[in-house]
Amino acid sequence: MSPPVKKPFAIGWEGAIFLALLLYPLFPIFESLFFRATQRSLGEQLPLVFIFALLAYGLNVVVGYTGLLHLGIAAFFAVGAYVAGIFTTAAYSFGWPFWVVLPLGVLAATVLGLLLGAPTLRLRGDYLALVTLGFGEVTKFTLRNMEKITAGTRGLSPIPPPSLPLVPPSAWADDYRPFYYLTLGVLILVALLLHNLERSRLGRAWIALREDELAANCMGLNPNKLKLAAFALGAGLAGLAGVLYATRLTSTADPNAYDFNRSIFMVCCLILGGLGSRLGALVGVIMLVGFDNILTPIIDSKIQEWFPNSGGRICLSFTGWRLAIFGLALILMMRFRPEGIVPSSRMKHELHPDEAVSNGIDPITMGRNTGEVETLGRKGGQS
Amino acid sequence: MPPILEVAGLRAGYGPIDALHDVSLTVDEGEIVTMIGANGAGKTTTLMSVSGVVRPRAGRVTFGGNDLRTFPAHEIVKLGLAQSPEGRKIFPRLTVLENLQMGAFTRKDPPGIAADIEKMFGMFPILNERKGQAGGLLSGGQQQMLAIARALMARPKLLLLDEPSLGLAPQIVTQIFGVIRDLNQNQGMSVLLVEQNARMALKVAHRGYVLETGRVTFSDKADVVLNDPRIRAAYLGE
Repeated sequence: MSPPVKKPFAIGWEGAIFLALLLYPLFPIFESLFFRATQRSLGEQLPLVFIFALLAYGLNVVVGYTGLLHLGIAAFFAVGAYVAGIFTTAAYSFGWPFWVVLPLGVLAATVLGLLLGAPTLRLRGDYLALVTLGFGEVTKFTLRNMEKITAGTRGLSPIPPPSLPLVPPSAWADDYRPFYYLTLGVLILVALLLHNLERSRLGRAWIALREDELAANCMGLNPNKLKLAAFALGAGLAGLAGVLYATRLTSTADPNAYDFNRSIFMVCCLILGGLGSRLGALVGVIMLVGFDNILTPIIDSKIQEWFPNSGGRICLSFTGWRLAIFGLALILMMRFRPEGIVPSSRMKHELHPDEAVSNGIDPITMGRNTGEVETLGRKGGQS
Repeated sequence: MPPILEVAGLRAGYGPIDALHDVSLTVDEGEIVTMIGANGAGKTTTLMSVSGVVRPRAGRVTFGGNDLRTFPAHEIVKLGLAQSPEGRKIFPRLTVLENLQMGAFTRKDPPGIAADIEKMFGMFPILNERKGQAGGLLSGGQQQMLAIARALMARPKLLLLDEPSLGLAPQIVTQIFGVIRDLNQNQGMSVLLVEQNARMALKVAHRGYVLETGRVTFSDKADVVLNDPRIRAAYLGE
């Protein structure tokens, strides 16, 4: 067999986005321009986008690669956050440093994922979706009701900032950049990990399982083991995001932050961006979290400026329209581009077989000449 | 020499229904054995029970001295038994090459896998031409070739083929059966073949079994089955 042709290093859209994000804080002019226009800091908001992108990556392993509809990812996100809360806050005597708590949160969420997955992953389709949904709700209510441990709706706080050489503790509060680079660094590391995983034997096995479980079983794949691995990895990444989230907020927040809405919101990010595609997950999160956390408050304050006497009339607040716009966007999306904004080429070809031609991509090879999985550069080139 | 596969008194089914009541058959090493029968006779269920995808409810399935009932489906592949399931079931969004690699999932010898992929490309040149394409974009006949090649990638001692002629043009069917005969004659592959196209199957097989509503009702050398007047009337449309 001739070895697959190694493509020259192509940075692609995903790399370009990461590069732009890496450069953003180095040019304070952008931040000050943004601030002048909106009275808000973009750098303060972006770490949340990165954290939710991590969560979306984790969910994408389960829903995108392996094809298991998981509607309770927020539960694992919560586990990470509460591990951070319990092991660092003064309410407990642990007081462990961030760098110990980070892997611990990942571990705890992974173990929980295995515990939930082992008995339930033999369920198919809708049934698994229901179990994960239920588990998410149970977790939320447990966190709310076990007040002695979780402080109920008050949440555990304050969670101290991470300790890093060269970064004084006060800098985490005064300057957005330490957290910005911490979360972005973790995100890029995870993206690299997933990039390699997608091309590995395991990654291919997950996709084969999604495509046809019976055939995959006939090839000697162990479906239960593979699903469990995907589930555990998804849970672990969600836990990682959870630790960062709580550390960022310096509090575990109200358990309602980890409810069904959070889970379904993450699924929406994936569908909007393109299921199974890492770039899609990133773009979906940037669009939806960006819309929610960055754009909506800006528009609201502008409306306040223009209509100072609107005085709480809901039809004049953008927040009131937020979900309607969100819903409409998703409906339009499903109608006109069901594969997502930047789909993996595997999905795209199935839903729009003829479009590949008009984009100058050979429909037969889908832009691929070798057995290699799609490259980022190519995917970007199509859209 | 004991048969490579021995099925005795097999009972299996789905939910409350038994699809197989009593199926017994053997495949000797280097032999092509075919099972023919109408829709719902239990041909596919028999294959699925052998490959472990359907768990037998009673009876014995022995392969190369191993009691297959004690192995899960994914372990059975490692014992040297590969199945090309009904309806081809290739992975439509994996490339042809990736499909072949999935066939070798249980193997851990990359050089051997690479050599076998080359071998498959030698047997099916069209797969080489299209190795970078998504499996779902191949024609039906090409997909069937891919399904067979993918099963062969596991280096099986026994190949289970379920309806390889399903939905294919007569010319392609002839080609596929040529491949099966070639695998058997030149590589000594044992094959258990399930077919609706009884005439074609009996021509290529050494022995044949006739299944009716979950029971073996007739079995003999393939040419005897082929010339039996009852079989001719019931399955060969004469």
